[in-house]
Amino acid sequence: MSFEVPIGPQHPIHVEPLMLSLEVEGELIVDADVDVSYIHRGIEKALELRPYIQGLYLVERICGICNAAHSLCYCLNVEQLLGKEAPPRARYLRIVVEELSRIHSHLLWLGHYFHTLGFETLFMYFWRDRERVMDMLELITGNRVTTAYNTIGGVRRDLPPDAEQKLRRTLDYIEERVRYYEKVIDSEPTILARTQGVGILKPGDAVRMGVVGPHLRASGIKHDVRLDDPYSGHDEIPFNVITWDTCDCYARVKVRLRETSECVNMIRYALDHMPSGDYRLKIPPFFKAPPGESLSRVEAPRGELIHYSISDGGDRPYRYRVRTPTLANLLSVIEMLRSRGDYEVYIADVPAILGGIDPCICCSARILITDEAKKRRTITTLDDIIRFSRGRRVERR
Amino acid sequence: MSEEDLLRKITERFGEKIIEAKVLGKRRVSILVSPDAYKDVVRYAAQDLGLEFLSCLSGVDRGDSLEVVAHLGYSMHVLIKTRVSKDDPAVDSITDILPAASLYEREIHDLLGIAFKGHPNLKRIFLPEDWPEGVYPLRKDYSPEHPKPLRGGEAV
Repeated sequence: MSFEVPIGPQHPIHVEPLMLSLEVEGELIVDADVDVSYIHRGIEKALELRPYIQGLYLVERICGICNAAHSLCYCLNVEQLLGKEAPPRARYLRIVVEELSRIHSHLLWLGHYFHTLGFETLFMYFWRDRERVMDMLELITGNRVTTAYNTIGGVRRDLPPDAEQKLRRTLDYIEERVRYYEKVIDSEPTILARTQGVGILKPGDAVRMGVVGPHLRASGIKHDVRLDDPYSGHDEIPFNVITWDTCDCYARVKVRLRETSECVNMIRYALDHMPSGDYRLKIPPFFKAPPGESLSRVEAPRGELIHYSISDGGDRPYRYRVRTPTLANLLSVIEMLRSRGDYEVYIADVPAILGGIDPCICCSARILITDEAKKRRTITTLDDIIRFSRGRRVERR
Repeated sequence: MSEEDLLRKITERFGEKIIEAKVLGKRRVSILVSPDAYKDVVRYAAQDLGLEFLSCLSGVDRGDSLEVVAHLGYSMHVLIKTRVSKDDPAVDSITDILPAASLYEREIHDLLGIAFKGHPNLKRIFLPEDWPEGVYPLRKDYSPEHPKPLRGGEAV
């Protein structure tokens, strides 16, 4: 006899709306389905209606955590359309900010992950260290969260004079902390019991399901866009692609933790070998792109991010397609939640497995306002938002 | 395998079914095929050319037709495209070859209204469940400035 248990759309294990429907027999999960339709924002359509320069600010808001990856991917895409390439110094500065945001994202995930497993102290520790990285992002880019650092043709500003020294001090600190966390994770029986052997995804299945990023590397597949399709001078910077072959949630923790120290080394190398020269090309803010198509890929903290655009020669994209890493990884959650043979999944494992992919639902489902009292929905336009931001009530048409 | 080798292998195998084949840039290849050969080309690329990783599927409104683009490969990125007419658009589903296509096909079905023949579960994924039938937000004739009423309420 099986029952259906809904988890979500609002649930403490996850702050974003996601609906999991689990079919259970006792405590055992036999089937699962996932629904991400709660926050589709229609950003792809919105990008078709805006000049390229406005799109840059919109793509950053697809995801707050991976904003550096989104804006980088967008800039690479538009630069490719225009046939331009960012100067060497810009490429290295982009790597510095990209890797810093990867450290911040991985620390955020690690903290949040242990929080879902019930390990509050470690959550506080990770998030405290992440604050140091946020300070560095603020120092270099001027903003803590939405950095707005990349721009079409390069980066928006050069390194401030005292930044390098402060950055190196922070990197030393992070490196030491990561070494400590690795010791904690390997010696803490609760963490091992909650993660080892949980959420198995075999390498063959991972490839079939189209899994990307650290989640794929935790299944033992060596794929990283920075290595396979270097996009911003990554072929000049030596780094190791971290893989782990136990294919479980423990592997996902280990891969992200070790990647954090790889990021530290990459930033150090970029600082040591920072080319001199311009940090941006002069490109007028409003321009027409020649007709054609371009595709850019970036290794975002959560995995391969794809932007694919088609231009018809106008001042805005004819079609702009964004594929975020979480959407690619969602299918594997269904697979990992399904018990089969001697692989058994229990309801208690759901937070560990769902958390394992580092889900970011608002990036996968890309404004709809619901007026519950009047039982109707309206799509908010840019004008509405502008009026709303000026303190006037949004009038319903 | 270089970009040109890959194109040559596919064009030799499928002949006149290939409408257009070109290299877009380093590690980027684009192939436009006729709809009846689309599934076979994807199968050949995935099983014989080792491009078994599906990055994503994209859908494009090309004015008089609708286009489906399959993005394949880890290092080499191959775009396999096919175009179908706007009245009753349907393309063969590739979920049986590449299970990763499942969510992307549901996404394109939602936003552009292309049916995927043979998809096991072509339900809504991104649009709200009470979104009106036959309204496809990514088509060019849809404008977000003029929203259509939802939930059967009066026009807004």
